Amino acid sequence: MISDQLFFTGINILLAWSVYVSLITGRLSFAQGAVMAIGCYSSGVLTVRFGWPRLPACVAAAVVTAIVAAILGYPALRLRGVYLILVTLGITFCVRVTFENVNYIGGVSGFGGMAGSDLSTVVVAVVVVGSILLWLSLSPLQRSCDAVREDDRVASSLGINVTLIRIMGFSAGAAIAAVAGVLYGHYMNFVRPESFDVLLSIYVVLYVVLGGVNNMFGALLGAVVMTLLPEYFRILSEWRPTVFGLSILILLLFRPMGLLTFRLVTARVRKGPMAALKPLADRVQ
Amino acid sequence: MTDQTTLEVRNLRKDFGGLRAIENLNLDVRDGELVGLIGPNGAGKTALINMITGFYRATAGSILFLGKDITAADMHEIGRLGVARTFQNIRLFRRMTVLENVLVAHKPFATHPIRALFGSGFNSGRPAFNEAMRLLEMLQIADKADQLASSLSFGDARRLEIARAMAVRPRLLLLDEPAAGMNESETKQLVDDIRLIRNQVSSILLIEHDMDLIQQLSDRVVAMDYGRKIAEGIASDVLRHPDVVRAYLGEDVEQVVR
Amino acid sequence: MLTGQIVNGFVSGMMYALVAIGFTLVVGVLDKLNFTHPEVLMFGGFVGVISLNVLPLPWAFVAAIAVGGAMGLITEFIAFRRFQGSDAKITAALASMAVGLIVTDLVQKLWGTEAVTLPPLTGWMAQRFSLAGVEFPNLQIVIVGITLGLAGGLHLFLERSKAGRQIRAVAESSVSASLLGIDVRRVTQAVFLISSALAAEAGLLLALRTGAASSDIGLTFGLKAFAIMAIGGLGDLRGAAVGGVIIGILEALMFYFGLGRLSELTVWAAMILVLMYRPAGIFGSTHVLEQRA
Repeated sequence: MISDQLFFTGINILLAWSVYVSLITGRLSFAQGAVMAIGCYSSGVLTVRFGWPRLPACVAAAVVTAIVAAILGYPALRLRGVYLILVTLGITFCVRVTFENVNYIGGVSGFGGMAGSDLSTVVVAVVVVGSILLWLSLSPLQRSCDAVREDDRVASSLGINVTLIRIMGFSAGAAIAAVAGVLYGHYMNFVRPESFDVLLSIYVVLYVVLGGVNNMFGALLGAVVMTLLPEYFRILSEWRPTVFGLSILILLLFRPMGLLTFRLVTARVRKGPMAALKPLADRVQ
Repeated sequence: MTDQTTLEVRNLRKDFGGLRAIENLNLDVRDGELVGLIGPNGAGKTALINMITGFYRATAGSILFLGKDITAADMHEIGRLGVARTFQNIRLFRRMTVLENVLVAHKPFATHPIRALFGSGFNSGRPAFNEAMRLLEMLQIADKADQLASSLSFGDARRLEIARAMAVRPRLLLLDEPAAGMNESETKQLVDDIRLIRNQVSSILLIEHDMDLIQQLSDRVVAMDYGRKIAEGIASDVLRHPDVVRAYLGEDVEQVVR
Repeated sequence: MLTGQIVNGFVSGMMYALVAIGFTLVVGVLDKLNFTHPEVLMFGGFVGVISLNVLPLPWAFVAAIAVGGAMGLITEFIAFRRFQGSDAKITAALASMAVGLIVTDLVQKLWGTEAVTLPPLTGWMAQRFSLAGVEFPNLQIVIVGITLGLAGGLHLFLERSKAGRQIRAVAESSVSASLLGIDVRRVTQAVFLISSALAAEAGLLLALRTGAASSDIGLTFGLKAFAIMAIGGLGDLRGAAVGGVIIGILEALMFYFGLGRLSELTVWAAMILVLMYRPAGIFGSTHVLEQRA
């Protein structure tokens, strides 16, 4: 069903953006499965067990997830990039196993009863989050994030609180993933912890890598391409992991920044629409 | 201009494992001064700057900035207090434009992320923009404002680093060999630029190998060798000091023999 | 019984150790994270599926080592050769993840997503022995024996042989090593070969023990190797070995005390705690965490 696919595309866009938001501060997180699960179950508990209406529950879920992410992030974000990958993978694993063992939320067999989200809710969410990200991309805060990402020691010497920026990026990303989780849960009616696993975390990161790591549209493109294309090409759907893996490999070898490499410039002297897009001259990671 | 000492370094020591990079170093930079710091390679000059800015942690001793103890402070705290630096091997944000490199250092945006998110409008607030352009003009790179930092020539890149450091509105500016690799005309321009800058920064610590530059600009010179201070005084005295001559000549003899 | 569980845990620990040692070797020498490692482990089980139908058992052990080694060389060529600089570390890790995805998919296309049973063991291997009143399959002895043999052999190789010295030199500093005339690329290939051979062997042992090869082992068992490596100390072979055994026994104890369902958590929780509060790991030195020349 077309609306099904579009729905999941929307979810994947949100998840890809959640990776992107942390990535702009230079930290690649593989914890999306975990934070999505926390968001989903938080909202589930609030709506099903406590009867909260959906919107406040969604907001509350996002806030709770952001706080948990900030707490976990504080020690974790100091680790060098590659080791952060290990820790965030570990977090995804742990959250899944923990949820499988808590009977209050259904354990392994899952949690049901959530309802009420459909394609229009997802569209609204994507538009809202997208607008916020666009605003961010053109704001001074984007510059600070770019500085932190490119050279955190120098950024620090300029007075930028690198740790704070990284935690903010990680938490904001977690909040977005939480919203995706909420929408997912309320659409599926019934969720299991195993849906929020390590493979999901990896896939979502690869969407961003494929689409382009330097701007928000790359994440959007990667999510759309990898979710919708397999629906229209049988072979892509059957061989999805292989095709995906090969695409990523080819991309990393020849165009490591992803498909869309441009960066949105946040300030310029000369006005005019084309001045905003700056293709990157060098292939720095 | 007060009589306060901007920077006080007391009994500073830095060990890297078994290697003692800095030993018992005492140094002052007073308000309004430009102090030249000279010494052969490996004398510990950059290590000193790294400790002042918090890149390295001192093994012993203390560093005071405007009376405040910054020995163990975080890098960003030191930056916010008003210490700025340039780097020997130029560390610009290569993926950002020249203008953005300067804007990123501006006070409300660097220090307050939330306010930075709501920075008014696309050009991030007229005042910041105007100030940034002024700095760029002062260092003759305003015409390249929209270019990527990675596309700049060597001399322009150095000047951009200085402009970026100035954007912090520092009380103390640490320049690490700004003339390295420059030819004569560029160096001459640099002298003029630094003189201009002195109107806006109360204190400067200048590391240089170019003795001409040191003589033209410094109020006072400090010489280091093997992590220790070996001489201090006005430029002409220090450059003729026997220990200083020996420190440099020793190096030169090696090069001649090779 | 407690002894029984502990012995089981010890044997599991041996296998964890084997996988972790391989992984930590690449980290310690080359400062790279090879995310294809878990899939090589997984494939080792399928090497068993293929070879046990045609070859007698001892040859299967050899086959696993050979296939694993080959996979290591291929992985190095595809995912790591191009991405050498220090900023390319994450790219290399991502590339190895991509390779892992492909391997898993191919295996699932060939054998389906369900576990594939191995032909049953025959002869001495199928028998059991008694220790302290408890019966254990002889297979456990083989597992322990092979693991100790491989680990011991690796240790001797690194300490005593010329090639081993070269590997240790590259581990210290690849720049200095190449200045000394060491062919860093050869060393890199050798390290990947050894590491993946160990992983595949562990995969075969695991499949023999459980009686089946399954394609999702990579993400469960294999990722644990990462965690154990972090606990023991990144790049520290001793740490990986000790860490593996400790985790194996801890998990067995959790089962014994009825907390079986949380056993999965053990290793990850331990790893997160260690990485956050003692990032060097139990045996590691902070030397490994610094920028490498």
